[in-house]
Amino acid sequence: MKAILICPASRPAVPHLGEPGPLATTPILGGCVAGHWIEHLADMGARHIRVLAAGGGDRVLAAVGDGARWGVSVSVIESNFEPTLEEAAERHRPQGEPGWLPAPYDIVLLSHLPSCPQLPLFESYASWFAALAAWMPMALTPARVRIKEVRPGVWVGSRARVSPSAELIAPCWVGDQVVVEVGATVGGGAILEDRSVVGARARVTQSWVGPDTSVGPMTSVANSLAWGSTLIDWRTDSTLRVPDPFLLCSLAKPRLAATTDRYGRALGTLGTPEAQGTLIAALGATLDRTQHLKLSGLRPDKVL
Amino acid sequence: MKIENQGECLSISDIPELTAQNSASFRDEVQAALGASPGLIEINLSKTRFMDSSGLGALFALYRATAQRPGVILRLLNPVPEIEQLLELTQMQQLFEIVRR
Repeated sequence: MKAILICPASRPAVPHLGEPGPLATTPILGGCVAGHWIEHLADMGARHIRVLAAGGGDRVLAAVGDGARWGVSVSVIESNFEPTLEEAAERHRPQGEPGWLPAPYDIVLLSHLPSCPQLPLFESYASWFAALAAWMPMALTPARVRIKEVRPGVWVGSRARVSPSAELIAPCWVGDQVVVEVGATVGGGAILEDRSVVGARARVTQSWVGPDTSVGPMTSVANSLAWGSTLIDWRTDSTLRVPDPFLLCSLAKPRLAATTDRYGRALGTLGTPEAQGTLIAALGATLDRTQHLKLSGLRPDKVL
Repeated sequence: MKIENQGECLSISDIPELTAQNSASFRDEVQAALGASPGLIEINLSKTRFMDSSGLGALFALYRATAQRPGVILRLLNPVPEIEQLLELTQMQQLFEIVRR
């Protein structure tokens, strides 16, 4: 059986999601939109899937590969624009040819997650978060052996490190190789993508933390999308580039020097012993974490 | 930056940014103006477009200074959404009375 996936071009309502790469490769619950759809279509019997990429075809190819991991054959076709369903059918599906999945799965626009057509992904940041939160229970497919539901509504990656004193409140998703430090609170309604770090006594609620993102000690991320140093309030679309890496930063590149520099500046301005002590403790935690990541080689060059 | 002493109210406004470059002078100037013992301190952040940890530190220093004076109220006026996000991220919105007019 065959199928076609159409990758969405940029969407003005969610500009920051498309910054690192095509929207089809945006990380979602340990995978990406394209990957989740290929897995879903493979389960439905598809064996040959064409992916139409409107720009960034190389990134899409890097994300889905040749499809062997799902037992299918995937070919990525780059185009200059995002075709409609009709245009895709006209160009890539010969009329009357047998061996295609039944509609609407023969040609799918990646604007929502499998089984959730009522929850569009890219209409707003709020719709993005709502779709992910609703899809959380469906993300744990039999093929995904690195995530387990440790108790109802709490999914944790097998290589995640969660401090015994941290609190996980359902529903929440703690991805693979995530670190949740001492006294942190995650949930309800929190999604931590792979390799993210939640610092000591930090709180993440009703929020999505992107991959390779460090949420600093004692910070509070609520009703937001946090990815690298970008913090987006999904209720208002207000976007903040957090200037201080010890509050929020990407772990994709070494930030140790910048971190220590900023801590020094903050220590200089907060003159009280209590505040300094708190910051020094936070700095120690960050340095420990950075060293750990360096030694463990968990700092990928690319997001996907 | 503009500091106006209006009797009981000390009003600080026109702060385009609060960073390592100006946070120390901001803190010192405001603390010097506190000598007049105002009952209300209003920091207008409507024109503040950028703040880093040094700026947060300066606000925190003012919070500490006013906390030692019984009856003194410290208000942040009309912070833009990005500054409000930063205050929420650092949980400093719990320390201040944030007012929108």
